[in-house]
Order: sequence, then C-alpha cells, then structure tokens
Amino acid sequence: MANSSRDDSPTDGDTSSGDAPPSNSSLYSEGEKILAYHGPRIYEAKVQKAELRKNEWRYFVHYLGWNKNWDEWVGGDRLLKNTEDNIMKQQALDKKQGVDKNTKSGRSAQTKPKSSSDAKAEKEDHKNNVTKGKKRKNDLGAEKDTVSLEKLVKIQIPPTLRKQLVDDWEFIFQQDKLVKLPRSPTVDDILQKYLDYRTKKDGKVTDPVGEVLKGIRCYFDKALPVMLLYKKERKQYQETVVGDVSPSTIYGAEHLLRLFVKLPELLAYVNIEEETQTRLQQKLLDFLKFLQKNHSTFFLSAYDGSKSVEGKGKGKHD
Amino acid sequence: MERNGGKGREEEQDGMSVHSPCKAPPSSASSLPKEQSQVELELRLLEALEIYPPVKLKGIHRHFVLYGLMEFLRRSFDRHFSADEVLQLLERFYNLEMLKPDDEETDILNHEEDFSLPQSFFVKEEP
Repeated sequence: MANSSRDDSPTDGDTSSGDAPPSNSSLYSEGEKILAYHGPRIYEAKVQKAELRKNEWRYFVHYLGWNKNWDEWVGGDRLLKNTEDNIMKQQALDKKQGVDKNTKSGRSAQTKPKSSSDAKAEKEDHKNNVTKGKKRKNDLGAEKDTVSLEKLVKIQIPPTLRKQLVDDWEFIFQQDKLVKLPRSPTVDDILQKYLDYRTKKDGKVTDPVGEVLKGIRCYFDKALPVMLLYKKERKQYQETVVGDVSPSTIYGAEHLLRLFVKLPELLAYVNIEEETQTRLQQKLLDFLKFLQKNHSTFFLSAYDGSKSVEGKGKGKHD
Repeated sequence: MERNGGKGREEEQDGMSVHSPCKAPPSSASSLPKEQSQVELELRLLEALEIYPPVKLKGIHRHFVLYGLMEFLRRSFDRHFSADEVLQLLERFYNLEMLKPDDEETDILNHEEDFSLPQSFFVKEEP
C-alpha cells in the first residue's frame, strides 16, 4: 500500500538501452545506467547530465553506491554500455586488482543499482579497513581532503538490545507471531520521552539533540516499509498503516531498534565531518542506553499470534 | 565590550583567528561591528555548505545535514546555534523551498527489501 514502488522513480535506471536519444546523437542519455572507468576499475554509474562541449560529448556521472562527492564530468571514452560483455570486463578488472574490491557489484549490475546487502558488504569493507576508499583516492591523486568520505558511523548496540533483536527474530520466525499494533508507547512517544529526559538532565533544551531525534523519526517513517519489516509483517503493515498515517505513530520500540541496525547504511549517504560523526555517535549511543534502561516499559515481552485468516492456524487474539 | 571587539580585531591582524575558542566569549559576536560578524557568519556558512550541500536539506537526511551545519558553526564560533538560526542564515543564499531532493534518495527508497538481522547478532557471547 504505502510500499514504495519503482514506478514513480524518475531516475530509475531501467532505460539503459540508450537507443534513439532525442538529439545530437549522444551515445549515452541522461538517467542511463552505465559502466564507467575510474582508476584501474570499472564501476556501475549513472549519467546525470549530458552536454555537448566543443564538439565533444561530456557526461556528468554518479557512481552508484558512492557518495555524491565522487560525481564528475567524464568523456565518452570513460564510459561503457551496461552489457554482459562489459560487465565481464568489469569482473576481469576486479580479479586483476585483487580481493579488496566489492565483488557484488558484478552481480547487482543485472538487477537493481544497489541493494542494501550490497551496501552492507561495501560498508563492511570499510568498517574493517578503509582500503576501498583510500585506494580510489590514490588512483586519482588529488581529491577532496577536507571531508572524510565513505566512513561509516559505527553504532554499537548494547548487549540487552542485541538480545532483544534476537528475541524479536524468534518471536517472528520461531513462534510465528507478530507485534500487536498499534503499539504503546509509539516511536513518537519514545523519542519525546528521551527528549524530555535529556532536557531535564542538561537543564535546557538542546537543539542538536532535537534535530537528531527529528532525523531518526524521519528515517523511521520512510525506512520502515522499505527496509525494516520482515516479510511476514508486510500484510499487517498494509492493513494498519493506511492513508496519511505515519509509522512512528503506530510502531514502537521493536521496530525502532531495527532502524539502528540500518542506521549506519542510511547515514553513509550523508557526508559528515569526522568530529561531528563522533558526537553523533555519542548521541545515538546515549539514546540506545536510554532504550536499554527502559527496556521493560518500551518493549513487548510477548508478541501476538497472527490475526490473519489465512494465518498459520494460531488465531490467538490476546 | 568594545575592548573585546578591539582585541579581537587586533588579533585578527596578527593572523590569529577570531574564532579561537578561548578568545571569543559567547557575547563577542554582538560586540563586534554588526557588519563584520555577519560577514564572518556567512563566510563560515558557505564553507560549511561545501561539506553539507543545501540540496540535501530537502531529503530524508535533512535533519542530519542540518545537525552537521549546526555543529560546524558551533565549532567555528564557540557558541550554540539553533536549527532556526542556521536555517535563517541559509535563507540569505537559498530559497530553501525551491530545492528539490536528491536523486539518491529515490534510489534508497525504491529498493524495498526485507529486514534481516546480521549473523553477528546470533553469535552467543561469553557471559
């Protein structure tokens, strides 16, 4: 229902054949998903703009899955059509360069530009050693020094909450149950409680904390149907979150916690200075500790049997 | 207060930044001639925007981008900036309503997938 579909995306790279461009016989068209040379390797990319300059076509490309800071103008000589042959070329170069490149890009080139698991693998490479980012930097020589790119905000989830996520999984998969909706307290309630708690503790209203919390709510509302639901929960979502209703007024701590598993990936799209990242990490950790402290109030100790008629035969209501 | 302002200016001439934390008490911004402190603010903001592009103020990341700007300015001037203050500063340069959200956002939001708990969570830790 409120599930995002690809249809509305104006930037969807499905029209990758690039035939019959409207004018001036440019080989690649705007919005086209292509492959691009960058240093010694080939990456999935997208043509953001195409311009004819001095009788030469120039393309402003965005490397899929990479920060916008890497976007650049290139000539047609750097680009390749997104074909099987070229993908094999890409894989060949990967092999040549060694194992520290994310090899998943070969597989995903066929389907979506980037999936979360690819992002995870990419980011996991970074978590261990920032070699990928560094390697690219060296490939090109001069790049943006003033900003730290491709660095993940690490979020350490406290032990009780880690266990909570496993329990959550068990309720859903082993006990075949669902979180009973609507929840109380809701995500909104919890965020407000935290703000109150912090305000009291700091003796004043802290704007930065407020902004971070708004950010979390914003992510939650958008991300819930896209990446925070187990398959079994989708039907319930479609039945419960209708019209203008925002997920943060329906769901609670259980799903909010899942957001924190995904948060590093989401934040990777935002270029944040190292110093600010550290502060942000501290704030997020403080919030998690607050969740942990109030665990018994915020989290369900038991989930509900599936209410759906075509359910798994349990049909327990309370 | 004027003395503070004067001192600030002298130190600037010496090549020291008026932004060094220990030199600028919170109220110094108001003690400097309005023009100068306004210019300083705007310059710093423009510097910040190289890292936090205004276009990102429209998408799902906008609060974190704004947070980044607030932090940047806080460190530059050693005082707190409210979200509103930063937005007002931005309004001088950009018509924020006219900004369109990033393409990137539609990339993220169009790829629906089921949540999966990473393996690392299932590994039992020693009590």
